[in-house]
Amino acid sequence: MKLTLSSVYRPHSFPKFLYCSSFGTLGRRFCSSALSSSPTCVKPQVPLFLRPPIYSTKLCDLKKWHDWAKGVSLSIGSTFVQSDNGADSNMLCRELKWLMEDAVEDHSLGMEDDDRVKMRIDIEELYSLWTQRVQERRPFQYVVGCEHWRDLVLSVEEGVLIPRPETELVVDFVSHVVSENEDLRSGVWADLGTGSGALAIGICGVLGSEGGRVIATDLSPVAVAVATYNVQRYSLQDKIDLREGSWFEPLKDMEGKLAGLVSNPPYIPSEDISGLQAEVGRHEPRLALDGGIEGMDALHHLCDGAALMLKPGGFFAFETNGEQQCCALVDYIKSRSGRSFYNLEIRADFAGIKRFVIGFHQ
Amino acid sequence: MTCLLRKSLRTKALSPFLHKLVGNSSESHHTLASSCWFWCHQSSHSLPQKTNPCFPSYSIPSSFSHALLQIRFWASEAAATEPSTSDGLTVQKILANNWNILDENDGDWKSHAAAVAQSIYLIKRRLQWEKLKVRLDMLSFQLGKEDLWDDPERAGKISREHGSLLGKMKEVIALEQELLEHIDMIKLAREENDADLESESLKLLLNMRRDAKEKELEALLAGEQDSCSCYIEVQAGAGGTESMDWASMVMQMYKSWAQRRRYKVTLMDEMPGEIAGIKRATIKVDGEFAFGYAKAEIGVHRLVRISPFDSNKRRHTSFAAVAVIPILGDGSTHVQINESDLRIERFRAGGAGGQHVNTTESAVRIVHIPTGVTATCQNERSQHQNKASAMAVLQSRLDQLEMARQAQLNAQHTQSLTDITWGSQIRSYVLHPYRMVKDLRTNYEVSDPDSVLEGDLDGFILSYLSASLDKEDDA
Repeated sequence: MKLTLSSVYRPHSFPKFLYCSSFGTLGRRFCSSALSSSPTCVKPQVPLFLRPPIYSTKLCDLKKWHDWAKGVSLSIGSTFVQSDNGADSNMLCRELKWLMEDAVEDHSLGMEDDDRVKMRIDIEELYSLWTQRVQERRPFQYVVGCEHWRDLVLSVEEGVLIPRPETELVVDFVSHVVSENEDLRSGVWADLGTGSGALAIGICGVLGSEGGRVIATDLSPVAVAVATYNVQRYSLQDKIDLREGSWFEPLKDMEGKLAGLVSNPPYIPSEDISGLQAEVGRHEPRLALDGGIEGMDALHHLCDGAALMLKPGGFFAFETNGEQQCCALVDYIKSRSGRSFYNLEIRADFAGIKRFVIGFHQ
Repeated sequence: MTCLLRKSLRTKALSPFLHKLVGNSSESHHTLASSCWFWCHQSSHSLPQKTNPCFPSYSIPSSFSHALLQIRFWASEAAATEPSTSDGLTVQKILANNWNILDENDGDWKSHAAAVAQSIYLIKRRLQWEKLKVRLDMLSFQLGKEDLWDDPERAGKISREHGSLLGKMKEVIALEQELLEHIDMIKLAREENDADLESESLKLLLNMRRDAKEKELEALLAGEQDSCSCYIEVQAGAGGTESMDWASMVMQMYKSWAQRRRYKVTLMDEMPGEIAGIKRATIKVDGEFAFGYAKAEIGVHRLVRISPFDSNKRRHTSFAAVAVIPILGDGSTHVQINESDLRIERFRAGGAGGQHVNTTESAVRIVHIPTGVTATCQNERSQHQNKASAMAVLQSRLDQLEMARQAQLNAQHTQSLTDITWGSQIRSYVLHPYRMVKDLRTNYEVSDPDSVLEGDLDGFILSYLSASLDKEDDA
């Protein structure tokens, strides 16, 4: 038991290097053959908050760690904000609070300094985790192995894009659409480039137990493994079908049958990648970020496929880089597919940035 | 008496480290609707006066005719025959005997009995026993009328109130009977020289004494919303860092108080000061009667001390305002909120958003456009949850607003909103030149400010609640 667990803690670096180095600059569509060789050997990590509390430490030692970590966080000030719009001290302190919540099992009150606290992680490991967070700018979500997204807690790890708060809105769009259309609710939906499985699981939730199923695809075997883990955690194996492969490739059987299609594809223009916030640029998979020269390679591909895959009346929603891409995509759809789509709309995220293109198939 | 109250309420000192850690990180961003800051003051003061006290636990008898029978039975019995022991001792007589009430641990049966009788007396007083009996008779009469159900809504109301009052009355009478039974048992045991039975009965009586004390406290909290959970909001007054520090001390005081009372505390929203302290903060306090107790804290709290932020070591006076908003249960009517009346905003540092940014910052602010009331939450770990929490805060604020409006319509409120300003202090905390905390409404005071700031507030709260009841009695 202990053995397997300690091995679980270590392999952060494995998928990270696999991805960043070998496939970083390749477009997603072109490397499927190289990746498909080892889909089964990827074992997803267990998020910190789900690990068994087999460690314990004295409260005063935990306190010492916390004071140290808080000091480190405060010393950052607004350095990261200025360099690349990263986290400030306030945010780091809040993350520290969450790390405590996830790492400590026993939150009971009235403990003395010498009392032992049950932990899900060794105290030494906490020191190295916080160093990674602050010095290496490792994303907080990779540090604790999970991201809270909508009402879900999703496992994430290196090699899988951390789902963004903006993307939560896509589920709201779907929820709205299926609330007025029973046909779409009971149909088959697809989430392409699912990553952690966030959209697929979120949509499955709004379709409801009587609703249809969701097919989720991803080219990355790490993503498929992590998404599978998340799907199992929410006991949705019967409702969500995970398929490894590039975009529509694993969906050949669904031509003209999909009730809905959603995706948060890579959309950042290649030249912007080097200037990204350190947490994103250095740690998240380029495969999930880099959308080619204009950032629209995947979006174009998705729109072309949507016309083919959606059934009449089917709904689509894609996330984009912002206003420019939204407008360009609407133009692209109108010029390429003519009248095959209707009710095309651009929707803003909560920050007011035009972020999504949605529409219906004729 | 007060000493006893405080003792029975004081729970084990808690929360040294973990809770502070978990509850203390600094948060940023948010706005509160200053417009709704004080409204709760109004309704919480006055609602208990206009509503009849009701215990939430009692359910209405299902069968109507059965209920009718009960009513007559109970109403007449309560009025006619007072419960007594085999040798004619009644609760009234116990009170009249003026037996000494000693500490729980060294009391004999008379002491316990007198304590229980005292509790029952206070409960009755708080229920306005004589008025209650009259009211119950009146309701019973109404229920007996043939045409009652011609107006089902009114009939429902009458039968609900009747059920509720009847429940209270039964509860008190049951207490009286229980007390007298225990006394009978003890006397019997003495006559029979049965030491086992005597100590057993004494133990039961002691348990009852504690139980009655609890009930006595609950009877203080008979307002319509008293049993609700609540939000507590603290806002710093003018005066810069010193008053922001004071605001955070006040907030910490409530967090500790709530934890002592075993309430669940969640930080909803916090706007830190530039150097120290907080400008504003909102916590949610979950648990039975959280609002009932916390409403006693509404108003302005004043601190006098040598400011640690003043290099000249001068004495400063600062203020913090406290608002308490009940979170109405599912059974209550909520203000209907139209989605289209809402503007939802997410805070962000700027930049392209989306995949460009990895942030754990997912604060959400909701503006209710017609009223300008806003709510913010950034404590949750996902935007979706922050939005849900902010919606809950917004709902409570709008409910509060509506209650205040209706209360004003009812013309039962002589106190206008403008009466409550920074000038209306409720409590003074003096750390220098002497040390004292004094409630300006009740004159209740203690000479140990530290214990108060660590959350030992029950003395203040209970004396205020009792005083409000006395005021109602006089009215």
